[in-house]
Amino acid sequence: MRVKVWGARGSVPSPGPKMNRYGGNTSCVQLTLSSGEDLVLDAGTGIRTLGLDLATAPKVNILLTHLHLDHIQGLMFFPPCFRSDVEITIWGPASPEASLEDRVARYISAPLSPVEVRELPCSVSFRDAPPSEWQMGSATIHTEAVNHRGPTLGFRITEGDTTLCYIPDHEPALGASLADLEPEWVSGYDLARDADLLIHDCQYTDEEYPEHIGWGHSGIDDTLTFANRVGARRLLLFHHDPLHSDDFLDSFHATARRRWGELGGDPALVEMGMEGGELEVAPAPASAGVTA
Amino acid sequence: MSVVAARTQKPLELILARNLLTSISTPALLLDQHGAMVFYNEAAGALLGRSFEDAGRMSPEDWISTHGPFGDDGKSIPLDDLPATQAVRKGRPAHGVSRIRSAGGAEHEVESSTFPIVASEEGSSGAMVLFWPLNSKRSEGVQQ
Repeated sequence: MRVKVWGARGSVPSPGPKMNRYGGNTSCVQLTLSSGEDLVLDAGTGIRTLGLDLATAPKVNILLTHLHLDHIQGLMFFPPCFRSDVEITIWGPASPEASLEDRVARYISAPLSPVEVRELPCSVSFRDAPPSEWQMGSATIHTEAVNHRGPTLGFRITEGDTTLCYIPDHEPALGASLADLEPEWVSGYDLARDADLLIHDCQYTDEEYPEHIGWGHSGIDDTLTFANRVGARRLLLFHHDPLHSDDFLDSFHATARRRWGELGGDPALVEMGMEGGELEVAPAPASAGVTA
Repeated sequence: MSVVAARTQKPLELILARNLLTSISTPALLLDQHGAMVFYNEAAGALLGRSFEDAGRMSPEDWISTHGPFGDDGKSIPLDDLPATQAVRKGRPAHGVSRIRSAGGAEHEVESSTFPIVASEEGSSGAMVLFWPLNSKRSEGVQQ
């Protein structure tokens, strides 16, 4: 399977000359299965440019981890939504309060939007992500609720013997000591266990994290500890803080690699989510690195 | 074939409940969907005479034989009659007064409230039991 990052920023789009390399668009990842099918993970503002790449796709599956704005904001500007020959299926967390469509429509409706969901030319359907596993093309998808603010899912996507885990917003160390907990008490453990690539929240430095406890995101130390506990073979740090410039993220990356090395891992296998970055995901630990 | 070989992880709502119990000084424990005790906090450990780390997970039968609860006649309350059992099975809160026994043999009269933990559309994940000793300073609302 192949991964392309269209947006790796967290919280809010953060364009600007100091953000060009890592990019300012919010969460969106394209996963292309070996069968050629595409899955879109989250619909932050990065999905707009992805949509230009999907000009002829007859079907699009979008998997939403949750409905915070930085994960759905691009939906209204996703070019396939405005083509009548496209079938779009949007999967997301269930809620006892309202249907997925009704919750997304709170954004794609007046006064926030010039169009309503029912006015979109495409054929769009909304489906609750099943609470266990389901098949999508050649991939098996395992869904699990994870620790974030509000109902939030993580995805474990397996095709053949290759597994990717996507948990862009996650604070598994909230009220817990990740290093000591038994695996059964670690949020996201089953999703991420032995993943060939783990795409995981790493919004804060360890100095910043104490000021943001309970905000639903992780610092470097906790992210690396989580990745180490679950035995992830490669790690892509994701959901960059909107205040972190390119230079800052370079330093952030160096710190993460050094600490991963201290945990006994190969520093080269810790990468940064970078807009335009592509990775080939393979079961072998020494698979190719990020090419931005 | 499942992409998750064997389920290791507790449901998120139990994980979050444990995180909460770890952070409070009210004696409290967690039951899983089968009624097994899967965690209790330090305050409960002080009352029960040993830490959770020493005790580990306990089946309902092990719990009753070790800690009770016991009725006024000193006999164990049958599993089916326990408020906590009712809470787990029926998804309803329960409240009661009973006596429990610490690992060292000391008995405490406690008032307990049990709250089922219900995940959306998936039924009960277990229950949280908070208890208040009636024969110590804790019953005055003061935490040592």
